[in-house]
Parts: sequence; C-alpha cells; structure tokens
Amino acid sequence: MNLRKSMKLIILLMLFTSLLTAQTKLEDVKAFTLKNGMKIIVLEDHSIPNANIYIFFKVGSRNEYTGITGLSHFFEHMMFNGAQKYGPKMYDRVMEAKGGSNNAYTSENLTVYTDFFPSSAMEVIFDLEADRIAHLALDDKMVESERGVILAERITGMENSNFEFLYEQVKGSAFLVHPYRWDVIGYESDIRNWQKSDLQTYFDAYYAPNNAVVVIAGDVTLEKVKELTLKYFEPIPARTPPRPVHSREPEQMGEKRMYVNRNVSSPNVLVVFHVPQTGSPDYYALDMLDSILGDGKSSRLYKALIDEKQLAVSVFTYIPQSLDPHLFHISAICAQDVSEDILEKAIYEELDKIIKDGVTEQELQKVKNRKLVGFYHAMETINGKADTIGSYEIYFGGYEKLFNAPAEYRKVTAEDIKRVAATYFKKSNRTVGILKNIEEK
Amino acid sequence: MSKKYIKFPFASFVVLWMLISFFAGDVLAASASTPAGQAEATFRLPQYEKFVMKNGLTVYLMEQHEVPLVNISAAVPAGAVKDNDKYGLAFLTAEALLFGAKSFTKTQLEEKLDFLGTTYYTNVDGEMARLTASFANKDVDIIMPILKEILVDPIFDEKEFDKRKKRLMLELEQEKEIPGQVMESYFNKFMFGEHGYGNPVGGTKGTISAISNEDLKKFYQANYKPAESVIAVVGDFKTPQVKKMIEKWFGGWKAKTGEGSQGAAEKPLPTFAKSRVLLVNKDDATETRFRIGTLGIKRSNPDYVAIQVINTILGGRFTSWLNDELRVNAGLTYGARSNFAAYKTSGTFYVSSYTRTERTIEALDLAVQVLERLHVKGVDAETLVSAQNYIKGQYPPDYERLGDLANLLTDMFIYGFNESFINDFQENVEGVTVEKAKEIIAKYFPRENLQFVLIGKGSEIRDKVKKYGEVTEKEIKAEGF
Repeated sequence: MNLRKSMKLIILLMLFTSLLTAQTKLEDVKAFTLKNGMKIIVLEDHSIPNANIYIFFKVGSRNEYTGITGLSHFFEHMMFNGAQKYGPKMYDRVMEAKGGSNNAYTSENLTVYTDFFPSSAMEVIFDLEADRIAHLALDDKMVESERGVILAERITGMENSNFEFLYEQVKGSAFLVHPYRWDVIGYESDIRNWQKSDLQTYFDAYYAPNNAVVVIAGDVTLEKVKELTLKYFEPIPARTPPRPVHSREPEQMGEKRMYVNRNVSSPNVLVVFHVPQTGSPDYYALDMLDSILGDGKSSRLYKALIDEKQLAVSVFTYIPQSLDPHLFHISAICAQDVSEDILEKAIYEELDKIIKDGVTEQELQKVKNRKLVGFYHAMETINGKADTIGSYEIYFGGYEKLFNAPAEYRKVTAEDIKRVAATYFKKSNRTVGILKNIEEK
Repeated sequence: MSKKYIKFPFASFVVLWMLISFFAGDVLAASASTPAGQAEATFRLPQYEKFVMKNGLTVYLMEQHEVPLVNISAAVPAGAVKDNDKYGLAFLTAEALLFGAKSFTKTQLEEKLDFLGTTYYTNVDGEMARLTASFANKDVDIIMPILKEILVDPIFDEKEFDKRKKRLMLELEQEKEIPGQVMESYFNKFMFGEHGYGNPVGGTKGTISAISNEDLKKFYQANYKPAESVIAVVGDFKTPQVKKMIEKWFGGWKAKTGEGSQGAAEKPLPTFAKSRVLLVNKDDATETRFRIGTLGIKRSNPDYVAIQVINTILGGRFTSWLNDELRVNAGLTYGARSNFAAYKTSGTFYVSSYTRTERTIEALDLAVQVLERLHVKGVDAETLVSAQNYIKGQYPPDYERLGDLANLLTDMFIYGFNESFINDFQENVEGVTVEKAKEIIAKYFPRENLQFVLIGKGSEIRDKVKKYGEVTEKEIKAEGF
C-alpha cells in the first residue's frame, strides 16, 4: 500500500518523528538477534487482521562493479524463481493461495523483500522465506526468461520517463569513482551478459542472515514471532561478512556540464551537488533545506520559478537516503519558449538568496509542521511503520535513533541552513544535465 | 502487486509510481478475513454517522483514533463526463477552486495550508471532482472554514487562470512524450466515442485554448450543487463537535442555478459489431504498449465482487494467467494484467501490457489466447479458492488510511452502492462457485469483437496488426486522442 505513494513523500515522512513517541513508544518496538546474526525487530499492531514482514539485505548497486552492473536487482528477481522445498513459481502460488502478496525493491544501498498477509498465514510465510534464503535454486530457464523481463523493465523505464533518461547520464558524470555512478537497473550490455555463476557468487557473498535485518509489524505477538524465527530462520548458517565498499568519491574539482539529446517539447534541467550521507551531522539541516526549497506550492523554488516568474512547469528537489555520500538534486522543466539557461540561472538566484540572506523562522517552523504531519501519514499503516523502523535501523545506525530525531531537528537553526547551503551549493561541486532536442550540425 | 521493481533514488518516483499503479487498484477492494477454514477475523466497515443537511448535502462522519489526523474529502458529480465538447473544462474548474476565494488569495491559501502541513488538492476523473485535505486534528477549526470557501465561494481569479492554462498547454504536449500517460485517454476515446466517458480529462490543446475563465464560472454554477454532493470527514475527532462545524460552515451552501444537471443529455453508448485496431504511431518508440478490451460494467453492478474474483485469476495478481504467461513464462514484459474500470453508468474491461517492439505480435497473440482460455477451460476449484483467499486477505490494508476510508464513503454516494459492499464482501467472494464462475465469464468477459489500442513504432508493426481488425492510425504528436 505505502508503495503507491511517491518515494519522495515516503522519504520525507521517514525523517520526522516528534510524535512517534506519543503514538508508538520506543518500548513498543522489540528487537532480538538470532545466533546466526540475523536481527529481528517486532512491532505489534492489532488494528487490522493483517501483518507484514520486511527483510532488508544490505546489498544494492553500490556493491557492484562494471561488468555486473544491475546484478543486485536481477538477483532480487531471481529470489522469486524457486528454491528447494518450493520450486519455480511455487513461492508466489503458495503465498497468494493463503491470501498473502509480496513485493520487493532494489536500491543503490539495499534489497528489500516484503510480504503482506492475513496474520493467520504467518507460518507459511516464514517457511517460504527461509526456504529461499537458505536454499535458492538458480534454474537456467528461469534465468533466461527473467533476463527478458529485466530488459523490458529497463526499456519501459527509459521510454516512459524523460527524467530517468537524463538521470542515468547525470549520475554517471557526477560520480567518477563511486558505484553510485550507474543506475540500479544496470547497463544494457551487462544485463545481456550476466552468467549464472555471477548470481551464485552474489548469493554466497550477500544473502547471509548476518547481512540482513527483519522487521515484522501488524497483528502478531512477539512470542509467536520468536517461536517462528527460531524454527525457520535461526538454522540458516551465518557466513563470512561481505567485503565493505571502500571506494570513496574524491572532491569534485570543477563544474561538470552535459547534454542529452531527446525529442522533447521543452528542455529538462537537472542540477546535482555532492552532499554527505544520511545520518551525517549536516544531514538534518540539508533535509530541511530540501523542504524549504521544494516542498509545497509555497516553497522557494515552486513559488519563484512556476508561480511568479513562470519559467518552469515543474520543479522538485530531493536527497535520497544513502549509506555513502550522495547528491542533492534539483530538477525542473522549462515553460513554453523558456530556454534552459534562463531557468538554470533562476534556480541559482534562489540558492544564492539562501546563501546570502538565510531563511526565516516561519519557514523553519513550516518545515517542522510538515514533517510532523507527514510522519503521521507514514504511521497510518503497518507498512509505513515497518519501513520507517527498518530504514532507521539501516541508515541511522539503529531504530532507536528514530526516537532521537525530534531533538535533532530542534537543534537545526536558520544559521545552520544558511551554512549548509553555502557549503554545498558551490559551482565547483555541481553537475548540470540538460535534456533537449539538439539538432546535429 | 507491482512486484519486483527497482526503487530508484529520487524523482524517478514518477516512473515508479506508474509501474506500481500499473497493478494498483485492480485487485479491487477485496474483503478481509482469514483464509477459508481458519479462525475468522472479518473486517467490517468502522461505524459512521450519515446525515443529509437541509440544503441536501450528504455528510459522512467516521471517527478513527490511531493517528492524530483528520481527512476531509468532498465529491461533486462534476467530472469530465460533463465537459460536452469543451474537453478539460471540468478539470480546469476544479483546479481553479484553489485560485483564491472570498477571504484569501491563492498565495495566502498556499502559505496558510503549507504552514500547517496540510496535504490538499482537487482532482477530477471522468465521473467527479474531488477536494481533499488531510491535516493535524488540532487544526480542524482552522481548516474547515477554508475548505468551505474553496468549495462554496471561489473567486475564479483571471490572472491565475491564465497562468494555469498556459502551463496546461505545454503539459498536454509533454504527456504525449510518455505513452503510459496517454494510453487511458486514447483507450477511453476509442471505447466510448462521443459518449462523455470518452472525454479526455485534461482536454486537448485545441479545446483548452478555447476555454475562458467565464466558461469555468458557468460550469461551476451548473454543476457544483450541495444536493448532488457529499462530504466525508474521517479521523481523530469527536462526532458532535465536527457535526456542528459542518452545519455551521456548509449549511449556507446554496446551488447557484436550479437543481438537476445542466449538462447535455447523455449520448448513447457505442456497440461493437467487429474488431477494430487503433494504432498510435510514435516514431522513436522502442516498445509497444497495448490494451485489448471492450465496454464493461457499472460500479453498482450486483455481480461486481464476483467479477473481481474471476478477474483476479485472469489478470489481477502476480500469479494471474496473464502475468504468468506473458511475464513469467515468456519474459515478454514486466507486467500484464486485466481490469474492469467501472463508472456510474458504464465502464470498460481491458487486458494491458507492454513489450519491446520486435515482440509485439507475440505478446498480443498470447494475451488473446489467455483470454480465450478463460472461456474454453473455465476455472477449476483449486484456482478459485486461491483467488478467493487472495482477494479476502488483501482487503483490509486497502482501508487502513483515513483517506482510503473517506474516498470509499464518497464513492458510495457518487456511484450508488453502500456498505454491504464491505460488510458482505466475504460472503460474496465465497459465493462464487465453479458453476457461478462459468456464468460470470460468459456474461462479462468478452470473447469476440475485441478492440485493440496500441502505442508504438508504426513502421515496424503497421502491417502485422491488420490481422486483429480494421486499423485506424493516429500520430501521437497530433492533437487530441
């Protein structure tokens, strides 16, 4: 359900938590670790007769290298294609026949498997998950058919989004060293050429219980979850922890600019700046800056570019959650007959205003209010709860941090916002991508 | 069921949302319960109070105390079906409600609501216009009078109208760059023809350029009337208090013209005596996106739930026959599904998917074969029970959010169904036997005279698709649908 929301919304929601303490208390969240190192986090919530399980594996496209780009995502697909007890197609058939459904996603940082089920079906869900984590079978025929699915997924993503088309190339320029430089879906030539042995190597390296965090929320009891995790998950042996990602993006030494040719009715502009990772000391100030610039029709960029100057038909800003330093993104589409350089310049004017004059107390308070209501929205559903708890565990170093977040936000001052804007919104730190109709001469 | 997708960092949320919504919604609102034979924990619609005010406005109040939020949703039967030939008029009218009212300008409204963290918007579909606001419960006495002014006292600011119209003109051009965004408009036009359900909701460049601010005012006066409208308030509040507020703020809402719709008489629905193909050419396409379908059912159809059970098997979940054949077995696509889109007086049925250009015919043939299999082989008892369990098990989370419940209540009013949809859901799901399934398939799932809409590279597929029926071709960049 929560997956239907925009990712932007979800991520905003995750980051503010003042009243989490009023609604869900720290002591309502229970956690324990199995002997094989798998961490289990449980939140009982009996509002509907359903529950979910979120299994976060700490592997994503940042763990890949050229030649196997996109493999994390491909692997995610293969996790649905048969194991020992439940052969090809059986995972989905058994789960759906019991009233459950499932999903999964791969990001640059994580691969996450999610099941949504009536709580009476919980045991079979554990059986299905344990079978594929312990005994995944890689069937040759399924590998080939899934390769076709992924090529279709790549094509449809690029075909149906100008942004995606541009972003793949901007990331490739902004990152010189770090594996964030390729898209999660991977390069087409790599997709066409992975071998089954690449998949097996990946499974052995990353799909260990000690490389996973499990969150269960909904109509369950801690006691029952303990019983089932001991029975199904604890027997899966631990493995040598995977090698950490050691590549570090060096400081950018000057502005990078690039053009992408596509037959579009008006130019798309994407500006990105390098910023630190989630949970770093500047993260909260950057997150609030992101909201001040792009969240809502009264935000700085919407108001200036769309409403007042009418230079753009859309604009948005974004910082992803990431384990390594990532990017602050500003994306806009030109209004009719507006050239991209005019729009780009107007974006910088707004950034410069913050660098020079800072932001108002009213704006700070607005952001706090918006994040609070957004957080309540995340907490409306058992899926929002599981996802938020898991994200804090992974990105902030412990789900307990969720309960410290209000204090972290309170600490942020208008001066901090001004300072981070000046620190990161530098010309030498930015990469600019323009997507437009370019005539070859 | 949008399974196994990539979580892109960032704005590709547009694509992501599309991929996800590809599956969202069609598995319907199924009912809650546990799998057959196990302990039952039936999901029922939470208690609510319904009343009709003196001016005829219908109101639903439902208390839900899990989070300190309130959701207000107002629905007015002022959707694109009322556009007549001014496509986009209903859409622009609903947008213009947020351009200022008696006591605030657009900018003041945005500053105020954004400051409080309110999520608010208007949206329009074929049937209705909707105003929604979601906010912290402590602010209900601030928000309620604002919503009242938006709905009852809009000023239709001329300058803001001009700005929005200009932006919309470009958006209409841009959406043609994204096949996934325009398929719905092409399909509905091809299915409904001149009937109002065929009207493209956002209009076309030609119709929008001809619409004036005066048109909006007239449309508002003719179609926004309390006696035909509904407001649902769901969330963390006390009913008597909110009831008083609703009476205070909305009791004075009066229709600006006489009761009854001012729209033109509804045009007749088309019938199809043969198969037809609409090929929308996009020269630079690398994939073909398609729908295969015909006219379907209205939302209040008594067999609605039974139809959803069968559709779950055909194309409503990951293991559905369509997804299993086209995606899992053949690797042709990222997803294939089928859906009944049901409106107040009619609807559509369609099978939909997409595949890369060179595999277009293979995918279309397979989709048609799967539909044929439903008629030839029918469904067996085991598959039926699986689908029944699935639809029941996936139901409760569809109504977890305040907004979901508010939309359900307003939909009941607009589409003409009641809470027995929820409360008898389990019974209706379980009432589908193998025999009944046969009847449902024969009655509601098409077998002949299928209608095809394809968006793709014409030069590669033009000749090959003639075998499906009489071909009409359009250029995607050409105006309209």
